[in-house]
Amino acid sequence: MSNLAVLPIIIPLLSGIILAFFPKRLTFVRILSKIFIVSNLAVASFITWLVFSQGPVILETGDWAAPYGIIIVADELSILLVLTTNIVAAACAFYAPHSLTDRKEKYYFYTFFFLLISGVSGAFLTGDIFNMFVFFEVLLMASYALIILGGDKVQLRESMKYVFINLFSSMLFVTAVGFLYGTVGTVNMAQIAQRVQQVDQQGILTTVGILLFFVFAVKAALFPLYYWMPKSYIVPNPVISALFGALLTKVGIYAIIRVFSLIFVHKIELTHEAFIWIAGLSMIFGVLGALSTQNIKLIIAYNIIPAIGFIIMGIGIFNQDGISGSIYYLIHDMLIKASLFLLVGTITYAAGTSDLRKFSGLIHYYPFLGWMLFVSGFVLAGIPPFSGFIGKVLLLRGAFSAGEVVIVIIALLSSLLILYSIMKIFIRGFWGEKDQSFQPKSIKGRTAPIVVLLALSVFLGIGAEFIYPSIESISKYLLNPADYINAVMEG
Amino acid sequence: MEFIISILAGVLFATAIYNLLQKQFLRLVIGSVLLSHGAHLFLLTMGKLKRGAPPILTDNVNDYTDPLPQALILTSIVISFGITSLLLVLAYRTAEENNTDNIEQLRGNENE
Amino acid sequence: MIYTVLIPLLLASFIPFISKFKLKIHTGVFVFLIPLVIFLYFIQFIGSGFEPVRHTYNWIPSLGINFDFYLDGLSLLFALLISGIGTLVVLYSIYYLDRSEPLGHFYVYLMMFMSAMLGIVLSDNVFVLYTFWELTSISSFLLIGYWHFNERSRYGALKSMIITIFGGLSMFGGFALLSVITGTASIQFMIANTDIILASPYTPLALGFLLLGAFTKSAQFPFHIWLPDAMEAPTPVSAYLHSATMVKAGLYLVARFSPVFGDYEWFFIIVTIAGIVTLCWGSYMAVHQTDLKAILAFSTISQLGMIMAMLGFGTKVAIFAAVFHILNHATFKGSLFMVAGTVDHETGTRDIRKLGGLLTFMPITATLAMFGTFSMAGIPLPFLNGFYSKELFFESTLRLQDDISSIAGFLVDIIPYLAVLGSIFTFVYSLYFLFGTFGGTSQLDKLTKKPHEAPLGMLISPGILIFGVILIGLFPSAINGTFIAHAAEAVYGGPIAKDIYFWHGWGSPQFQMSLIVVGIGAVLTATRTKWSGLYHVFPGKLSINKIYDTVIEKLDTVSTKITTFYMTGSLRTYMIIILSTILVVTAGFMLATGGITIDFSDLAPVTAIEVSVALMVAAAAIGTIFVKKNLAVILIAGVAGYGVSLLFVIYRAPDLALTQLVVETVSVALFLLCFYHLPDLKKRNEPLKTKTINTIISVGFGAMVTMIGISAHSSDWFGTISDYFLKTSHSLGGGDNVVNVILVDMRGLDTLFEITVLGIAALAIYTLIKFKTNRGGK
Repeated sequence: MSNLAVLPIIIPLLSGIILAFFPKRLTFVRILSKIFIVSNLAVASFITWLVFSQGPVILETGDWAAPYGIIIVADELSILLVLTTNIVAAACAFYAPHSLTDRKEKYYFYTFFFLLISGVSGAFLTGDIFNMFVFFEVLLMASYALIILGGDKVQLRESMKYVFINLFSSMLFVTAVGFLYGTVGTVNMAQIAQRVQQVDQQGILTTVGILLFFVFAVKAALFPLYYWMPKSYIVPNPVISALFGALLTKVGIYAIIRVFSLIFVHKIELTHEAFIWIAGLSMIFGVLGALSTQNIKLIIAYNIIPAIGFIIMGIGIFNQDGISGSIYYLIHDMLIKASLFLLVGTITYAAGTSDLRKFSGLIHYYPFLGWMLFVSGFVLAGIPPFSGFIGKVLLLRGAFSAGEVVIVIIALLSSLLILYSIMKIFIRGFWGEKDQSFQPKSIKGRTAPIVVLLALSVFLGIGAEFIYPSIESISKYLLNPADYINAVMEG
Repeated sequence: MEFIISILAGVLFATAIYNLLQKQFLRLVIGSVLLSHGAHLFLLTMGKLKRGAPPILTDNVNDYTDPLPQALILTSIVISFGITSLLLVLAYRTAEENNTDNIEQLRGNENE
Repeated sequence: MIYTVLIPLLLASFIPFISKFKLKIHTGVFVFLIPLVIFLYFIQFIGSGFEPVRHTYNWIPSLGINFDFYLDGLSLLFALLISGIGTLVVLYSIYYLDRSEPLGHFYVYLMMFMSAMLGIVLSDNVFVLYTFWELTSISSFLLIGYWHFNERSRYGALKSMIITIFGGLSMFGGFALLSVITGTASIQFMIANTDIILASPYTPLALGFLLLGAFTKSAQFPFHIWLPDAMEAPTPVSAYLHSATMVKAGLYLVARFSPVFGDYEWFFIIVTIAGIVTLCWGSYMAVHQTDLKAILAFSTISQLGMIMAMLGFGTKVAIFAAVFHILNHATFKGSLFMVAGTVDHETGTRDIRKLGGLLTFMPITATLAMFGTFSMAGIPLPFLNGFYSKELFFESTLRLQDDISSIAGFLVDIIPYLAVLGSIFTFVYSLYFLFGTFGGTSQLDKLTKKPHEAPLGMLISPGILIFGVILIGLFPSAINGTFIAHAAEAVYGGPIAKDIYFWHGWGSPQFQMSLIVVGIGAVLTATRTKWSGLYHVFPGKLSINKIYDTVIEKLDTVSTKITTFYMTGSLRTYMIIILSTILVVTAGFMLATGGITIDFSDLAPVTAIEVSVALMVAAAAIGTIFVKKNLAVILIAGVAGYGVSLLFVIYRAPDLALTQLVVETVSVALFLLCFYHLPDLKKRNEPLKTKTINTIISVGFGAMVTMIGISAHSSDWFGTISDYFLKTSHSLGGGDNVVNVILVDMRGLDTLFEITVLGIAALAIYTLIKFKTNRGGK
């Protein structure tokens, strides 16, 4: 039974490899990739059900008992993120053929795509900090391949910066893992947690923790480490942007959640208080970025930063409402960001430009796109009854209980500006006179994946009663690291 | 000796970063290579140095050096090699496509 | 009760289908039935024996967010207003909006609004209330932007959304805070636990958050600026949302929370000041407008201020008057908006400078307008409801001293004067509106259409409202006992028995105040053109709109400035910021947590050969900085790499040494391949400043990681798990080379994915090269 846990990593790996053998047979590859991703989604759903009904599924790879072998831990948090990843991925897989040129598809798009999913799932599921580094590299390498797919001037240019900055943080990751090994003598996360607790996170340990935090913060695009992100996320095809926006930064934030709820929880007054500041600054600067541009893709890319700010805010608050809020927001943001990237990708295609100054009145030709954008704006800003709202209620309650008032004010103001940044697209791009000379293009096939993602994120808000109890249980679980430690060490 | 190797790793870090702050692709790539050396040396040092024989089990030997950091470093070396190769080709293609090997000339503007 | 809220929303989704069929019948005819049915439903609750009703439907019970509908006197008053005026507005819109307009959209938005507004006044759960609150902002945004091809409509829509959602979010903050303080989301429970709230140190914050929401929604000074621009919406919308209902949501909120904050002195001070200032400012500015709807917009602002002030007073009389005036204002202002819409519809303009003398062309409309404006002006006639509420308002300003013993004594003293001042201007703009449109001589040459009386259908709705004005005026006590008193009691939190008397006697101060208003008002109306120059002096160039415009503009420009300042696209800048952040923060944490430990006890001995290899590596590394030839730099970097593999040999890591050797050799070859033809490294002529920064950061970073490394090495609290590997490698792993066993067995997953990384890299490189060479091909 426990072998199940590794399936969400292995299925995409095999899918990627299989698809690499038929690069030129596009029709076949397209069908096969859809079958693969849907089956992976089904498997992930099944494991999710299993985990939520019977507790964590833990696999000791190669039958080497924890803490000696690599442990795959499908607990409620990791499997929920894997599930969400697969939902986003499935939507992207269905969108891809409509958006990518045949040439790009032939150049192993689907292979890179599946390996990216494999790496992301692995990073969520692993219980071993060095193994996490390896999965980070898998997903990064796949992302390098995807970002340069097509080899445009712009793409190459931005990918250079993207690769260098990520390479730097990867090497810092190895170094930090080394330091951690030097002090606690292990790389198994549960055992690290156990040992850090035994010595009460004394001496150099907090510093090593902060170093790890920065490693993850670079990937998560937190203030002030997000410089690599906005531009490099908009140069590739929308479907790749959607994958990046929804998944890559979230892996970083997941790692922060995991490490700072499991391992480094003994100097909260220092570490987590700092997170709140970083959260506030991420919100402010992210929103300013989103307001600064007329490029609709860039608006969405910048909007990743405040969202990450909201998530880290809950970790900083570190009480039950706060963490529930973070996780709710995390799931919400994965869905809505993917949907928004696909949406603006479609708008850009339909309008022929991503420059907001160059089009208007689109609603006369694409009413459905317009209304989806409209709803997305409210979803993103956390206006009720949509999903961001539930996360926000929890975050606000958590923050007030912890006496953190300033961050609440920043959070509320940035919500307003997030909404403004999206409504700007709606008002300037969709409202206005009908342009009679405009030649509408067919966007057939592109809307369905967006609708599904948007519908899910709307459901995440309206149907919160179906979701929230699970989130609450994750939050309780995270606040009690002993559960994880026991599950792994005695499993 | 561990301290000396730590300092050496620190020096590798410093020179790597100095190179990463330069403009030309070649220096940047060299910087990233030095960085990986630094990281690996740190990892090695953390397992303590020279506390026994190489970790290849032989009879009558009881003390071995810590094998785990070595395994981790090996993984990391291979991964770094992969990235470096990609980076080299990427740098080559970027230089060719953008007609410059100066990263500072690759700023671009927002609407493209 | 949930059906009354949901039905408009649900049925609204069918409206687009109805309007798809090109029926001869106006879509509004179908829609008309919805508010009517709801109105009839709520009518049944009217009566002296009314008791609050509660219905609860679960939504998110685990978060305490439920549709907890609570119908008390206050909710009932609002529900009747919403559905009643809603019915009349839909009826009016059938004649006002042509069938060529996108009616489907219009009615969807309108019904969405009605649902939301009913939701606000019926919800006892603060979070559900907030949900509906934002929904009204959204539908208001869509309705204002209904004619979105107009630049002004888009501007007005955005402005209203930004300001009201700003307030909404603030209110949401207040709700969250209150729910944390009291542990509940139910308003009634909060009212029952006022003492907990007042004892909390966060009360001022919660109050501030809530009031910001109320003031923005109810267009209180200085947040009123969105309301005049909201007049870009079709007139039925202005009559409905922007005078009778939505703008009163803020009043509702303040009224609803009056029992909680009523005893809190700052509540009195802030709400009163906001209300009185808004009253005076709105009425003063109304006289200066030339657009009929703008006059009414400022008039609405002013009237909302008056009600807000009375809610601030918090005395029995004041609250009774406030609730009473909410009703009265809805009747006369609703009808006046419809009159303005009718005039616009029949003459083609709303510019009062082009109008005048319409009495002869539109006698019925003029009559309706006369009743409406007279009621609004508070002219002492016994059949106008506006007069009663104005009298009560004056009375409440005078009787403040009776109930309030406050440090805000000064405020109490000047309020009556300000009330009179505001009312004088109310009188002036009312008559200005009436006579400017219907009195004087007509200027037909300035009109695009020849004016004539409106069709009967357009007169029904304002007619009914004016009928209401008179009915309430004639029988004030009839509605008092049945539902105004219930509403007022819900706000006051205790019994209120107030009979409305018309006649207070000649000598009664409030009547004298009314006389002063009429007297001075008449003089000012007659001489209006003489003193209108005053507006150049005050407010003159002072404009809150300008502040809003500047803020919005600055949001764009300043954010662009800030963002382009650091998002330069320069890798060096990015790296510097990232590195210095990591350096400063990590070093800070190291010092703050006492992270530095140096322990010399457990170290390997220092030997000459190791030191010399280390020196060689260091020298090579440093050398890469100074060498200028491509070839040389690559080779020197290679030396560093080979030096590292030498170290691996020395430190008993044969596998590592071997791998490193191979990798280094291949790397050097690749380097040469890729960079051989690229130009040589340029001469380094960068400024000293750049060099200094680079040096500080790189040396600092190197020093920091070294320090952490040494400290980590010195903090060896636990044995390593490697001993297990050494022990079991042979027996369980089946191999003697422990590193290999770890790689393929214990950490086989690492190795699998390490190969994957390599594979992706190879494929990516292939793509990079191939994609180019095939360019222009297939």
